[in-house]
Amino acid sequence: MRIGPIYLAIAFILLILSAVKDIRKTKLALKASGKIALTVFPVLFLIFILMGVVSAFVSKETIASWLGSGSGVLGILIGEIVGSFALIQPAAVFPFAGVLRDRGASYGPILGFVMTAILIGVSTLPLEIKLFGKHFTLTRNVLTFILVFLIGIIFMLIL
Amino acid sequence: MKKMVRDALIYVLVTGAIWGIISIVSPAKGLLVGEVAYGAFTKAVEIIIAVFIIIGLIQVWVGPQTLSKLLGKEAGWKGLALASTVPIFIGGSLFTIFPLLKTLRDKGASIACVMAFITAWAGKAPLLPLEIEFLGWKFAVLRISLIIPFAVVMGLLSQFVLEKWQDRHPAVIKASPK
Repeated sequence: MRIGPIYLAIAFILLILSAVKDIRKTKLALKASGKIALTVFPVLFLIFILMGVVSAFVSKETIASWLGSGSGVLGILIGEIVGSFALIQPAAVFPFAGVLRDRGASYGPILGFVMTAILIGVSTLPLEIKLFGKHFTLTRNVLTFILVFLIGIIFMLIL
Repeated sequence: MKKMVRDALIYVLVTGAIWGIISIVSPAKGLLVGEVAYGAFTKAVEIIIAVFIIIGLIQVWVGPQTLSKLLGKEAGWKGLALASTVPIFIGGSLFTIFPLLKTLRDKGASIACVMAFITAWAGKAPLLPLEIEFLGWKFAVLRISLIIPFAVVMGLLSQFVLEKWQDRHPAVIKASPK
C-alpha cells in the first residue's frame, strides 16, 4: 500500500486548519515550505543520482563486506565515518540509507551513518567553533561519535 | 534568495553532468542510474512534499524562537527534560540551529541543555514518514525512543567533561570567542 497520499492528505488538512485560524501565518508557512523545497530538492536530485551510481557501480558484495552483518562493530565505525563526512540534508539521509540497506548494509552501520550524517558535519565545524569555542566543539563531536557507536551496537543486537 | 537559486542551479548542473558523463561512457549504466533515481523519487516525492508543508507550519506555529523562550526560562532538571524532548519535533539543519542555541547559551542556558538540545534535534520527528518508508518502522521507532536517553546522557556527560577540563585550564568554558 502506498502511504504517500495519506501523508499528503494529513498535510493539507493541517494547512487548511492553519489557514482558517490565521491566513497571514499560513502564507508565511507556505513561503517557508517553498524555501525548504528550493534548498532540498536540488540536493535530493544529486542524492538520487548518487543512489543510482552506488547501485550501478558498487557491488552488493562490497557494501555487504564493509557494512553488512559480517562487518561487526567495525561496520558501525565505517558507517559513522562516512556519515561524518557526508554533506547531505537530513531529508536525504533516509533515502540514501535505504539504498545502503537494500544493498546489504546491516542496521548498526546504517544507524551510525544516519546519526552522524545529521549530527556531525565537517562542513558545520567552522561555524560551531566560532559560536561555541573549540573545546565545546571537540567535546560534542567526540562524545556524539562514541555514544552513536554504543547505540549502533544496540541496533545491531536488537534489529 | 538569489543565492538559493544559484546554489539550486549548481546542484542541478553538477548532478546532470555526473549523470551525463556516465551515460556517455556507458549508456546501460546511465539507464540503470536513471531507473534507480526515478524509483527513489516516485517513492519519496509525496512524502517529501507533505513533510515540507508540515515543517513550514511547525516553523510558524512553534518556531525555534518560541522554543528558546521556553528553554531559556527553565533551568536545572526541567530545562534538561525539555531540551531532551521538545527539539525532536523541529526541523532545520545544523546551520540554522547553531545560531539559535548561541542566543540561548548567551541568555544563560546550561551547557547540558545546549548539548541535549542538539542531540534531541536529531530525532527528526517531522521526517518520520520518510524514515519509515525507507528504513522500516522498527528502525524508526527504536531510533526515536533511544534519542531521549541519548540526549540526556549527552547533556550531562559533556557538561561533566567540560567542567573537568575547565578545572585544569580555566579558560575552557568562558573562552568562547565573540
